[in-house]
Amino acid sequence: MSRFAALFWLFAVTILSVVGSTVVRADESEARRLLTEVILYDGERQDVAVEALGEEGAEIIKVVVEAWRVGEVSTTTRAEGEELALLKTPEGWFNILTGDEEVPSGEVTINRPSRKLRKTLKQLVDLLDLSSSDPAERIAAVEKLGLRQKAEYVELLRERVTKQTDPKVQRAFEEALSISLLVNGTVEERLQAVKDLGELKSFPARDFIDVLVAENEAVIADDAAAEEDKEAAKDLLAAAVSAKEKIDSRQKAVEVAGTIFRGLSLGSVLLLVSYGLAITFGLMGVINMAHGEFIAIGGYTVYLVQGYFAQTFGEGTAAYEWYFAVALPAAFLVAAFFGVVLERGVIQFLYRRPLESLLATWGVSMIIQQLIRMKFGAANVAVSSPQWLSGSVEMGGVTMTNNRLFVIGFALFVIVATWLLLTKTNWGLHVRATMQNRQMASSLGVRSTRVNMMTFAFGSGLAGLAGAFLSQIGNVGPSMGQTYIVDSFMVVVVGGVGSLLGAALSSLGIGMIDQTLQPILGPVMGKISVLLGIILFLQFKPGGLFPSKSRSLDD
Amino acid sequence: MAVGLASGISAVSAADDTVKVGVLHSLSGTMAISETSLRDVLLFTFDEINAAGGVLGKKIEPVVVDGASDWPLFAEKAEQLLVQDKAAVTFGCWTSVSRKSVLPVFEKYNGLLFYPVQYEGEEMSKNIFYTAEAVGQQAIPAVDFLLEEGYKKFYLIGTDYVYPQTTNIVLFEYLLSKGISVENIGGGLRKDSEGKVISAGNYTPFGHADFQQIVADIKKFSASGEACVINTINGDANVPFFKEFASSGLTSDDCPVVSFSLSEDEFRALPAKDLVGHLGCWTYFMSIESAANKKFIADFNTWLGKTDVPGIVKENRVTCSPMVLSYDGVYIWKAAVEKAGSFDVDKVREALLSGDVSFDGPGGTVTAQKNHHLTKTVYIGETLETGQFSIIKTLPDVYGEPFLKGTFEKK
Amino acid sequence: MGVLKPFEKRSELAVFLLLAAVVIVLPCLNGMTGEESGWHVSNFKLGVWGKYLCFAVVAMSLNMLWGYTGLLCLGQCLFFALGGYAFGMYLMLMIGDLGAYKSELPDFMVFLGYEQLPTHWKPFYSPWFAILMVMVVPGLVAFIFGFLAFRSRIKGVYFSILTQALTYAAALLFFRNDTTFGGNNGFTDFKFILGADIREPSTGRWLFVASGILLLTVYWFIAWLLTTKFGKVQEAIRDSENRVRFSGYSTTHFKLFIFVVSAIIAGLAGALYVPQAGIINPGEMWPTKGLDIVVWVAVGGRGTKAGPIIGAVLVNLLKSYTTREFPEYWLLILGCLFVLVVIFMPDGIVGLCKRTWVRFVRPKAGSGPAAEEKALATESS
Repeated sequence: MSRFAALFWLFAVTILSVVGSTVVRADESEARRLLTEVILYDGERQDVAVEALGEEGAEIIKVVVEAWRVGEVSTTTRAEGEELALLKTPEGWFNILTGDEEVPSGEVTINRPSRKLRKTLKQLVDLLDLSSSDPAERIAAVEKLGLRQKAEYVELLRERVTKQTDPKVQRAFEEALSISLLVNGTVEERLQAVKDLGELKSFPARDFIDVLVAENEAVIADDAAAEEDKEAAKDLLAAAVSAKEKIDSRQKAVEVAGTIFRGLSLGSVLLLVSYGLAITFGLMGVINMAHGEFIAIGGYTVYLVQGYFAQTFGEGTAAYEWYFAVALPAAFLVAAFFGVVLERGVIQFLYRRPLESLLATWGVSMIIQQLIRMKFGAANVAVSSPQWLSGSVEMGGVTMTNNRLFVIGFALFVIVATWLLLTKTNWGLHVRATMQNRQMASSLGVRSTRVNMMTFAFGSGLAGLAGAFLSQIGNVGPSMGQTYIVDSFMVVVVGGVGSLLGAALSSLGIGMIDQTLQPILGPVMGKISVLLGIILFLQFKPGGLFPSKSRSLDD
Repeated sequence: MAVGLASGISAVSAADDTVKVGVLHSLSGTMAISETSLRDVLLFTFDEINAAGGVLGKKIEPVVVDGASDWPLFAEKAEQLLVQDKAAVTFGCWTSVSRKSVLPVFEKYNGLLFYPVQYEGEEMSKNIFYTAEAVGQQAIPAVDFLLEEGYKKFYLIGTDYVYPQTTNIVLFEYLLSKGISVENIGGGLRKDSEGKVISAGNYTPFGHADFQQIVADIKKFSASGEACVINTINGDANVPFFKEFASSGLTSDDCPVVSFSLSEDEFRALPAKDLVGHLGCWTYFMSIESAANKKFIADFNTWLGKTDVPGIVKENRVTCSPMVLSYDGVYIWKAAVEKAGSFDVDKVREALLSGDVSFDGPGGTVTAQKNHHLTKTVYIGETLETGQFSIIKTLPDVYGEPFLKGTFEKK
Repeated sequence: MGVLKPFEKRSELAVFLLLAAVVIVLPCLNGMTGEESGWHVSNFKLGVWGKYLCFAVVAMSLNMLWGYTGLLCLGQCLFFALGGYAFGMYLMLMIGDLGAYKSELPDFMVFLGYEQLPTHWKPFYSPWFAILMVMVVPGLVAFIFGFLAFRSRIKGVYFSILTQALTYAAALLFFRNDTTFGGNNGFTDFKFILGADIREPSTGRWLFVASGILLLTVYWFIAWLLTTKFGKVQEAIRDSENRVRFSGYSTTHFKLFIFVVSAIIAGLAGALYVPQAGIINPGEMWPTKGLDIVVWVAVGGRGTKAGPIIGAVLVNLLKSYTTREFPEYWLLILGCLFVLVVIFMPDGIVGLCKRTWVRFVRPKAGSGPAAEEKALATESS
């Protein structure tokens, strides 16, 4: 992004928000002046400026407050002694007072707000967001205001609630207003608010309704209370209890939906980590205990690619944002390369002795882990998510994080791509032939050595892809693959050794069951139950979901 | 079969001008992630002391062994250090279980172990000196701070082992005593048949990687505001937790997380920018502005540049509380040896327990107490986008008390 | 000598006698020579060797399954740990009120707020009950699991992965504090065993001797079993299970029996291991520990009588040595060793010795190539 683009963006936001909001804005320069005051001074002068800032409505306030929070506001002194507050952007420094670019001549020190100031400013921004152009921001802001239950916000909310055109936003305003009224309203208003909240099925209101129930129960039980108060309390109590029921039933529905999503995403993660194994172990029969280390290799590749991008383009730039798109194929290729090395160096001697491949690869796994430790250190390394993978979207009360959505799509892509490769290409035909009967295939002219090598490389590459993805949700460290190795074998066995479709279905099933059991049994007992469930399942289907068909008895 | 091979080589008797010191940490296996840094800082400390003339005129000769995150092996290695190498003192262990496994060995041979990592307390062996933070030097001050800040709902989460379980049950009692109602303590409670609460909080297995459910639960818990999370998740399982926390859109303004096992070292692997404003409580932060700390960091980095020990990462290193407590431990031991005028364990212990052995470390002055713990300064910090902590509260000279429930008879 | 009849070859007898000599001589050297003597075996070394003997026993129990019956169990560590836990419960109760809290309850129970001893702990005050449980618990777990698995004809790799799942589930269960077995910290700080102070050198010697006797007994038992008709069926199952079944044998029962016996042996090894190692925690059940045992057997020589013993002792010796001498490189050393063994010594060290013997020392013996062929046939099945 060029400097002009940055400025354009600043302007665009400002203009849009002026157009979109109902507040008449003061000149931005006053807000800039006040912000500079808040940053440069403390004590009374700061307090005064903060208070005055509350009267302003400029978008710049939000930009600066957010930047201040994450250490992107600094102070410096010009040669002539003037103190400046600077805003850091990927394009350089900007003077907050004037909005012009500034090349600092003196020492630049990062300035940070105190915890208390940050809280005050956050509230200020929330108020500002009430008139934001982005509906999501308006919703977030109004929710927070409601939760504070302050009397002074009631009028503000009431005045705005009718002006909202977006139904979602309007709902949020109504919700916030009702929550505020729970405490601040008259008896009638409170009663109405409780009923409204029940209708709105408001989750945040649940705790406040709980408080209301307790209060009114106390009033009813209190002998000293006036009779009319008791009557009112009874009405309120009845309304509150019914509202609570409504909210609870909605909460249950959301939880079910949430569980399905989480099960789907865990299933996708399991699928990614085990799909490579479904090929090396399922198709080729190699018990590859170093599978986890190929996952780690993928993770470290992402780390290296990220480092390269950060060095070349600088962190936070637009080009840097796309490092992950490069890292994915790179992780595949690097892991596949190591797969070839392992296959040529060790595995090729062991096709006739599959159980012993377990031991050799176990040794290889120890070697790779230690080599990683010696090269990168024993500690985990940092991999940050690009903007487009962080954050979340909310649908019907369920929070779906972007990286989880991505993994679901990515798992789907892996399934389809693998299926196409194996069934629609010549190479796939050779692979399937070789895996079915190595001698027969090679006597028919398939170069089985080459096919073996490529298949193993492909499986390892998939493990690398899994590692690349795991870097977004978890650790990148020398033993990162170990966490998943038992699970991966389980997935392949439950699916049926040799069946890719089986592996896909079993990972999905295991993910779903795990997430369903977790809220009931807790994470530990949930996991134990899943493992025992798998053991029992194989009693009934000893060959997994899709047992490989063969006429040979001893297969 | 040659018996002599059994334990490797027979001990080469130390030259007269050196004293052997054991370093017992996991350099491989699951705990290597955390423990390797402590090996590094210990080797640095020994070099620093040797350059300044050693201890009682003798150079320190470190004996590094790998416990390999294997607890019976820890016991075996401890015995080897004591019997074969005749180590005057050993610095080591991270997890409670490793300490528990070597404790009988140190008691049997009357050895001396310095233990540097925050732990659950409830232990006081005469052969162990705990430079670690006890619960009262970490969890209690942090919760006090949150109460002062006006938080009213507390969600407890941890890894399922002794330290989180004990800390949380102590905190549970503490919160109740501060007037927080049971409904406002989240994460779940488990009661025994008589209805007594025996465990509070939500627990995950070791190496747990899927925190979707828990984060969803926290989101629900904090929906009505004024909630915070008390986090005793072990070491690097914090990374998936915080990544999930950040990407679900929760921020420290909605619901701050105060963590007890998350130091600068673990924080390196996290998206710090999305996690500004969360809290930590330790007896040292790398950001402490003191001459002693600046010198420590600079010297350590210089040493890293020069060292040729294999497997030591030289770039982007940070310092953290367990590292500094290891460093302090070596100097406290040195001071005690010099006071006693001998390397003899009994005499050193006597000197340690005299109450006037102290050291001006990077985290402030630490003083050895009669109960084998250290009096030290407690800091509460909030996380910055740089992965550092900015200190927002300092509590000087906090006494280390391992038996917090107060109902147990001390040894 | 009727007792020695099971040893069909002279070499097997020689190994037996050598082991017996070690079991007798080491404790004698420890107890009778002074520290200054060149022949002295320190308490520490004796303790370490005592642990190796237990490892050798559990390796032999796995070899019964894998080497002679063709069942690769990746969860042998579970039976080892269960035996260890059962005996550990007795040891914990023997601490009495010498713990940190001066309570009759084990420390971790006081710590977690238990008011009284859970019912299932009470019988463990009796050492004989504990020893019974050392055999019954692993045996029972093996019986239930084996019954289900063999009945539905789970075999090969499926069986291996399932045993791994089993030990993983058990480890997670034992990690929980509520399981009443001390959670992650497990059991430590034992004080007395059968009335004797566990720190006394004489106790160490007796534990060593007990481990030695267990080792010799198991060695003899396995050899004897192979000479019986049962043993022949056992090997036949390994080589071709279906043919055995078609000949009218119920292979399920045979496999179940051998699985349970192997679990009991592993449990006994665990029980003797715990007082010598001084700790038992769920880490002993972690799937990697199960793989370790498999590696010992493979390095020594699968399907040979002495192989597991040599493998267990050698790998652990190397681990003890390298973690002290090369703490940064030991994983590389062991990892390379495993790879090399698998590629160049498919029958392990014992197999290599045999081949060398056949090729260079007794070139005229006709059994060489046949034996090699047989070995290959086994592997590809």
